Amino acid sequence: MVKGPLEYDYTVAKMFMFTTVVLGIVGMLIGVILAFQLAFPQINLLLGEGLAEYTNFSRLRPLHTDAVIFGFTLSGVFATWYYVGQRVLKVSMAESPLLMFLGKLHFWLYVATVAAAVISLFAGITTSKEYAEFEWPIDIAIVILWVVWGIGMFGLIGIRREKSLYISVWYYIATFLGVAMLYLFNNMEVPTMFATSAAGESGIGDWYHSVSMYAGTNDALVQWWYGHNAVAFGFTVPIVAMIYYFLPKESGQAIYSYKLSLLSFWGLMFVYLWAGGHHLLYSTVPDWMQTMASIFSVILILPSWGSAINMLLTMKGEWQQVAASPLIKFMVLGSTFYMFSTLEGPIQAIKSVNAIAHFTDWIVGHVHDGVLGWVGFMIMAALFHMAPRVFKRELYSKSLMAVQFWIQTLGVVLYFTSMWIAGITQGMMWRAHDEFGNLAYSFIDTVTVLHPYYAIRGIGGLLYLTGFLMFAYNIYKTMTSRPVEEHELQNASPMGA
Amino acid sequence: MDIAQLQAYGYFALTAVLVIILYSYIFHLYRAKKDADGVDYEKYGNMALNDDIDDAPVSPVSNDKEK
Amino acid sequence: MFHWLEKHPFFFAVGVFIVISFAGLIEILPSFAQASRPVIGTAPYSTLELAGRHVYISNSCNACHSQLVRPFKSETDRYGHYSLSGEYAYDRPFLWGSKRTGPDLMRVGNYRTTDWHENHMKDPQSVVPGSVMPAYRWLFTNSSDIETAFAEQLTVEKHFGVPYNKEIPLKDGTTKVVKIGQSVAEAKALALEEAKVIAADMKDQDVKDAVARGEIPEIVALIAYMNSLK
Repeated sequence: MVKGPLEYDYTVAKMFMFTTVVLGIVGMLIGVILAFQLAFPQINLLLGEGLAEYTNFSRLRPLHTDAVIFGFTLSGVFATWYYVGQRVLKVSMAESPLLMFLGKLHFWLYVATVAAAVISLFAGITTSKEYAEFEWPIDIAIVILWVVWGIGMFGLIGIRREKSLYISVWYYIATFLGVAMLYLFNNMEVPTMFATSAAGESGIGDWYHSVSMYAGTNDALVQWWYGHNAVAFGFTVPIVAMIYYFLPKESGQAIYSYKLSLLSFWGLMFVYLWAGGHHLLYSTVPDWMQTMASIFSVILILPSWGSAINMLLTMKGEWQQVAASPLIKFMVLGSTFYMFSTLEGPIQAIKSVNAIAHFTDWIVGHVHDGVLGWVGFMIMAALFHMAPRVFKRELYSKSLMAVQFWIQTLGVVLYFTSMWIAGITQGMMWRAHDEFGNLAYSFIDTVTVLHPYYAIRGIGGLLYLTGFLMFAYNIYKTMTSRPVEEHELQNASPMGA
Repeated sequence: MDIAQLQAYGYFALTAVLVIILYSYIFHLYRAKKDADGVDYEKYGNMALNDDIDDAPVSPVSNDKEK
Repeated sequence: MFHWLEKHPFFFAVGVFIVISFAGLIEILPSFAQASRPVIGTAPYSTLELAGRHVYISNSCNACHSQLVRPFKSETDRYGHYSLSGEYAYDRPFLWGSKRTGPDLMRVGNYRTTDWHENHMKDPQSVVPGSVMPAYRWLFTNSSDIETAFAEQLTVEKHFGVPYNKEIPLKDGTTKVVKIGQSVAEAKALALEEAKVIAADMKDQDVKDAVARGEIPEIVALIAYMNSLK
């Protein structure tokens, strides 16, 4: 066999691109169904009375969050790692059969784990902890696949040609370590199958059931230390890794300040972990922790904006590209939404604001302007950039991308504006008293008033899903349309008309 | 001096020290411009731009190996 | 200084790990030194209540209902006394929730009855017009899993010293004992005994028949759990 010149090997990246698209559709579709269920409760009986158990809001809700976090986002993180990792380290996976094997093993373990997780959540097997719903057998599978990813990552770093690690690689390493630490500590549980009754019976009940090692307030503290930082190391850190590579590469401009990126990185690492307690303000956790969490949440603006401003300044003098390229549009709007939600979050973490915002739809709105506007846009932009290089074909349609961009932007705007209004309305109504000091509204009054906002939110979500389907179609047609020449372009992605 | 007062002084001192360390580090970065290998920090930004497998690394793992 | 780290991935990873674990060490560990101690009146869950708690969890009731009353007048007016840390001493996992699409349930046992829950779970809109809560009719036919609840009781008794079969002080100065079965059969008998009390207040003939046969539908366990929330 004649060996060609050494090339980057994108086999594993392609596999994870596929799951990114598929699980993205699944997660967002469930999200849209959930949104409309709140506006129109009859939709809980989507597939009839017989299957109501599996289609009602409460059963689907963990599926939505987990499909988006651990399905769509994590697939996107893995796909970009297997692409960016090779390139900035200047080493091909084709050079090491072991790393290639680990990459594929990583993918298939991931697919198997996702399948198990979907089945168990549909069956109602859950620990109830948000974003850590999986019972211990799945937890163990997740640990194994995470370790396989880690070995592959450090293996690739070990055989690199570039001595210094690029900014994106720092963030991928942080993602690996952060999630490993958080996930392990939050999922400490004792399987109940080992219990023995006084009569000597053992193996009683469901073998997969377990009980948390922590109780009550401590459990809450660990859970939100995890829950908040799952957002940090799932939705922020690896997405920052992506933008540090893809925006400079696509625009052809080196990052504005390497020094600023150093400061932002270490700042983010140090500050982020402290802020978890802001999910527990006015709860029964010690007061000093609540105050600490509140203060650090505000400090968090600095490193977050450090990265975001670095991105916008990278475009200095090249702003015409934003108008010309829909791909740059996605990334620039993504980093703008990043700035926006990292400002909104600290505002909600201020105690007096949190008194109104907590438990309302404003929080839901905050999560979604981050995830739809920042995470979703950035992952789609990354895949748009990778597709022509991975498939060696030009992108199918530039105009479809532009239309998708505007549809999704409108969707995000409808989503967060309606949830702002809904959240603040409900928060104010809960606390309203009449002139005699009695509660002004019964709880149901504060629910029925939200109907129009829930409907608008559903439409916003539907628009975003529509845009995502256009994205999936565009990527599919890119794979199947005519090849362009073999030589790959330095920066801007080749696009069809 | 009671504990609250000590805490307040301690808190102020700690904040001052952290601020000084942070700003002196920023100052150091901008002053030095170059790292120990004599490469300008900002050159590392090119790792993303010139990332073809046959592009020359900004700082190769081993200068001997890359001849 | 810092730039050295980026050329040495191992030390870089160690550095990142130290920096990110710092907050956890300072914020989380101290609170474990003082593990939550139950307040007077807080009792462990009985077998049936725990089975009901599993029903609550497996249907993700916590996705829409909180169990945390914050110390504001508007909340204490609506839901009762604000939450105390010790009240959660036997909650594994905690079920504070993060969203109130529906009202808080921390003390729902104080103001809702078995009958109310029965009607509400069957058809929420018939009890609360305009409610967006879905109906949970399958709870009336699915059987609750007493064995798993029993296994969990054994586990928490052994590993976390939860006081089953011991006297628990109550607010009125008396005490009560929460029993745990010596065997699976005894655990089931204890649960059934409790279930009969709940079923007596219910109208659904199928549920009554099932309990008479010795089966415990999920709704009975769930109501037992909700009635215990005080």
